Amino acid sequence: MAMEVTQVLLNAQSIDGTVRKHAEESLKQFQEQNLPSFLLSLSGELANDDKPVDSRKLAGLILKNALDAKEQHRKFELVQRWLSLDANVKTQIKTCLLNTLTSTVADARSTSSQVIAKVAGIELPQKQWPELIVSLLSNVHQLPAHVKQATLETLGYLCEEVSPDVVEQDHVNKILTAVVQGMNASEMNNDVRLAATRALYNALSFAQANFSNDMERDYIMRVVCEATQSAELKIRQAAFECLVSISSTYYEKLAPYMQDIYSITAKAVREDEEPVALQAIEFWSSICDEEIDILEEYGSDFTGNSDIPCFYFIKQALPALVPLLLEILLKQEEDQDQEEGAWNIAMAGGTCLGLVARTVGDDIVPLVIPFIEENIAKPDWRQREAATYAFGSILEGPSPDKLLHIVNVALSFMLSALTKDPNNHVKDTTAWTLGRIFEFLHGSTIGTPIITQANCQQIITVLLQSMKDTPNVAEKACGALYFLAQSYEDVGPSSPLTPFFQEIVQSLLTVTHREDAGESRLRTAAYETLNEVVRSSTDETAPMVLQLVPVIMMELHKTLEGQKLSSDEREKQGELQGLLCGCLQVIIQKLGSSEPTKYVFMQYADQIMGLFLRVFACRSATVHEEAMLAIGALAYAAGLDFAKYMPDFYKYLEMGLQNFEEYQVCAVTVGVVGDICRALEEKILPYCDGIMTQLLKDLSSNQLHRSVKPPIFSCFGDIALAIGENFEKYLMYAMPMLQSAADLSAHTANVDDDMTEYTNSLRNGILEAYSGIFQGFKNSPKTQLLIPYAPHILQFLDSMYMEKDMDELVMKTAIGLLGDLADTLGSNAGSLIQQSLTSKDFLNECLSSKDHMIKESAEWARLAINKAISV
Amino acid sequence: MKIIMKMCSVIWFLVGNVAAQRRRQNAVTVGKERRESLVRAKRLCRVGTSADGEVSSDSDMMVDEEQSILEMQTSSAVEELKSAVAYQGKGAMQKRVNALRELRRLLSRFEFPPIETALKAGAIPVLVQCLAFGSPDEQLLEAAWCLTNIAAGKQEETKALLPALPLLIAHLGEKSSSPVAEQCAWALGNVAGEGEEFRNVLLSQGALPPLARMMLPNKGSTVRTAAWALSNLIKGPDPKPATELIKVDGLLDAILRHLKRADEELTTEVAWVVVYLSALSNVATSLLVKSGVLQLLVERLATSNSLQLLIPLSSPDLSAALLSRQEAAWVLSNIAAGSVEHKQLIHSSEALALLLHLLSTSPFDIKKEVAYVLGNLCVSPTKGEGKPKLIQEHLVSLVGRGCLSGFIDLVRSADIEAARLGLQFMELVLRGMPNDEGTKLVEREDGIDAMERFQFHENEDLRNMANGLVDKYFGEDYGLDE
Repeated sequence: MAMEVTQVLLNAQSIDGTVRKHAEESLKQFQEQNLPSFLLSLSGELANDDKPVDSRKLAGLILKNALDAKEQHRKFELVQRWLSLDANVKTQIKTCLLNTLTSTVADARSTSSQVIAKVAGIELPQKQWPELIVSLLSNVHQLPAHVKQATLETLGYLCEEVSPDVVEQDHVNKILTAVVQGMNASEMNNDVRLAATRALYNALSFAQANFSNDMERDYIMRVVCEATQSAELKIRQAAFECLVSISSTYYEKLAPYMQDIYSITAKAVREDEEPVALQAIEFWSSICDEEIDILEEYGSDFTGNSDIPCFYFIKQALPALVPLLLEILLKQEEDQDQEEGAWNIAMAGGTCLGLVARTVGDDIVPLVIPFIEENIAKPDWRQREAATYAFGSILEGPSPDKLLHIVNVALSFMLSALTKDPNNHVKDTTAWTLGRIFEFLHGSTIGTPIITQANCQQIITVLLQSMKDTPNVAEKACGALYFLAQSYEDVGPSSPLTPFFQEIVQSLLTVTHREDAGESRLRTAAYETLNEVVRSSTDETAPMVLQLVPVIMMELHKTLEGQKLSSDEREKQGELQGLLCGCLQVIIQKLGSSEPTKYVFMQYADQIMGLFLRVFACRSATVHEEAMLAIGALAYAAGLDFAKYMPDFYKYLEMGLQNFEEYQVCAVTVGVVGDICRALEEKILPYCDGIMTQLLKDLSSNQLHRSVKPPIFSCFGDIALAIGENFEKYLMYAMPMLQSAADLSAHTANVDDDMTEYTNSLRNGILEAYSGIFQGFKNSPKTQLLIPYAPHILQFLDSMYMEKDMDELVMKTAIGLLGDLADTLGSNAGSLIQQSLTSKDFLNECLSSKDHMIKESAEWARLAINKAISV
Repeated sequence: MKIIMKMCSVIWFLVGNVAAQRRRQNAVTVGKERRESLVRAKRLCRVGTSADGEVSSDSDMMVDEEQSILEMQTSSAVEELKSAVAYQGKGAMQKRVNALRELRRLLSRFEFPPIETALKAGAIPVLVQCLAFGSPDEQLLEAAWCLTNIAAGKQEETKALLPALPLLIAHLGEKSSSPVAEQCAWALGNVAGEGEEFRNVLLSQGALPPLARMMLPNKGSTVRTAAWALSNLIKGPDPKPATELIKVDGLLDAILRHLKRADEELTTEVAWVVVYLSALSNVATSLLVKSGVLQLLVERLATSNSLQLLIPLSSPDLSAALLSRQEAAWVLSNIAAGSVEHKQLIHSSEALALLLHLLSTSPFDIKKEVAYVLGNLCVSPTKGEGKPKLIQEHLVSLVGRGCLSGFIDLVRSADIEAARLGLQFMELVLRGMPNDEGTKLVEREDGIDAMERFQFHENEDLRNMANGLVDKYFGEDYGLDE
């Protein structure tokens, strides 16, 4: 049955495009004609030591891809396909895979490990391939080193692939034993030890029971700590990665080991190579994350019944930890890259210091201040930068009172450093620190203002000046201004920024025109800062915001004048259009929020809409997401007047709804449909056939990202609210969709938080759709059309109630829907409603809810039901 | 192997990326909020309409239902506020402000604001907490606004506000921002309007000086609110507050300055203050007269005396202007009710011609005020009961300038007060004109006919007055002399 595939596989990697293409075609054909034979051939190729390594690797890769895919729907198909294969074929393939683990060719072994894990990921949850783990572990001790390494690697991948609950505890114990033994210092082969250490990283989530046993835990911890002392860098790194993972998975078990771990990490931070040192710092960052979460839970819930108690490790380690972190702040690189994603030990140290500050609050301040004072004015830029970075890092966490004094002292120093310091890094960090000051220590919640009339002028002048500095510094200066503007968001009718508004806007526009504005994403920063300045502005500056409209329009117009563009230029054009549309979105929102400014702004509406349509026309297959968002804002401002734009705009709306691939575009467009429904009300009717068709297609598509589906359901509600009983003709399509989605969402095993969250958002969308439909039909003679759907809806509500896993939003929407149903159907549904659990237990629960939104909806439902059953 | 470097916790980030993300998120949130509010609005307004066209029988129930939803919303808003006040984490301030705004919205939006429910739910203590010193302006503003609306309720509801008064007064000070101070003044004005006992409490807690100081600057809305609150505060009957007020440094100047301003609403409120000052306190009246306030009021009357203004109330824009004239006229009437010297001052001023003109041409409300001034000019204050003493010189000159017909018009009006003014003036004319000219003048202006309308009038007082006058001056003997 197997076929000779070596040459095709090699050709598929040829540098000659035609050859490659031809080979790919053949492989595809082969797969389509006879899948079992194809997979068998591939596994045979992978297992055959006489074959070239390249064809073996590709064979393994294709096998792997035949078992798994990124897209959820595709993955599901592949799993089903594998499960339905002939059992003999599968056995043969699996045998080949296991045999490959003994190959002397490292690449073949490694590839096979991954494929085995994929198969296990499919079969173990189905209780198939029960002998896998036993056979892997059967004689692991006697195996030659390379096979042992491959076996451990396979176990590692397996643990990554499979969820812990499908592996029985006995097997878990065996896996852990094998892995920990492989990690042991007595293991002389470094490859084996490395594979074991990496395997442990994945196996940690299986070790719940073992970590509850003191002896086993002690043993595992000892082995991990020993591995951090290995002579081999990769082993040390992997061991520290295990420690990081343990710190979050088994935080509450760490107390006995903290002393040792501190010594190990401190030594690594000070002496080891960067990849290891980074992981050592990450350990402490991870502990901070845990404690911040726990303390936040303490704070939000007065009963303090967090599952895990806080051990205050950071607080205890503080006197030693802070000096360590401060020390590494001085290890900057000479040409430290300021771009996004840059990462080095000094940056990791600062990040960790920031987390420590958030964990312990005030206690960190006296430990850091001397370092700042000592270094801030030193001749070596490293010292000045480190001092500034330390300062900036601790601004979030401690109480403002504790910081205000030093911030007040430091502010003028920083302002002068930002203009006068000769070093670019220092200026960069200084601007960032100013931004942090404005973000955390200035704003309406802070009693004593840091920024006064006296220094406001100077701050603005310095920031605007710094926007002319190198792109990285200018970007940070924009950031600082962003937070400054944000801090005046709630300031009331008069903002201290008002006198500088014109100057700020002018400077930001100048930045956007800098030749080097593409570096450090400076242009984006400038536009987004402009947006924030506009968003937080007050009525006083409304005339100036109005003046900005034609300016931004002109910029947008300029982007449309290009001739033939290269793909690179086209991408840049799209990006700039995005920034400008984003800016217009904010301006429209701002000016639309008060009647007088809206009135004036609307004089531009026709022109702006014309520009947006031209932005859309720049592209053939897709619509511009930011332009779409801006149109949503425009629709809201225009209200019924938006109807005149619909004939031209409609095709792009449809195009956006059709964009499965870029699901964010689809999601944004769905949102805009909602905006337009609220703006146009029944005037949207002529477009509803097209929109509904598209939305229904979206829902039935497997390709569309699932996150778009709940908003589509909500959008049904928006449409129904807008067109009322005219929704009648869509009932026969929309209702079955809602019903089957409801059935699905009522009983899902919520395996993880993501799934639970998704289920709840799906339910919310479904409920909003129903509510919109019922409200839309209210007072219509066609109300009776909805009666047949009532039993199912009530069942849906009942079953959700019984599952007891609704979040608060769903509860509110659900009980509101009960009211809408009773309100619209009245006595027609009286007896149905009375029979439902929802109308009794669930309603009572909601009536006594602490959440006032739930309570309000419940109150409404109660009245509507009383009316329905009293008639 | 995964790379476990938590870039998410990196504190360096590029502002553009984060900001763009927030901006988009905001657009989604805004959409959700609008959907939410649309649905809520539909539900709430639906409660009032009946589905099956059933009529009045259950409309009361509907109102009840609406009210009960409102009450329920109110108590949960108060609860929300309590938990927001207790909450100290990130975004605490926004949480508090949102909760306050919701409560304020409920307390302001409806015809019957759910004040009682708010009080029962314990709104006052938590609102007082929100007024704590050092709170952000927006919070103070919203809290004061809530209290303002509560103070607008029934007397017992206003009483609940007593614990909040010291803080409301404290926020009137110079350190507060003007919107906050204004809102507090508004709340206090409502309290003061509720009655004498409330005024006494406010005065004893020192509300007057800071309110008075708010009159000094030129910020229109602040002055207007402060003036309104002050006029409630000094309403009396105790004249002391008015006297105290007029003595506040700079206040008199401020009044003069504000009366010169074009803002009609503002001058209206300031005029009211002058009204109460002059009505209650002799000290204040003297100071006002000396300061030339009279001249100013006359100017105001004169400058407002355009043709437009005489088109009775047809334009809403004018009503504000008319109001101001009315108040100005009332101030004059109070001054005219003062000492003989005050009256002489008016009598000899250019106001007189204007008043006479107004008596024949202005809208009814003003006519009445003017009549009162003119009537008062002709009598001097008396001690105790008895008919007022005539100032014949003034009477002769006024009648000579043709004012009698204006008063007789008033006698014919349906307004009891106006009719009384008319009758009183007619009595003066009949009694006081030399050589019994009075009877002839009254007869010539059809005054007898006007009085006979009261022969069987339901108001006993007016009936007796009119019949008395007819009997006395036009009785059986009348005309026999001829």
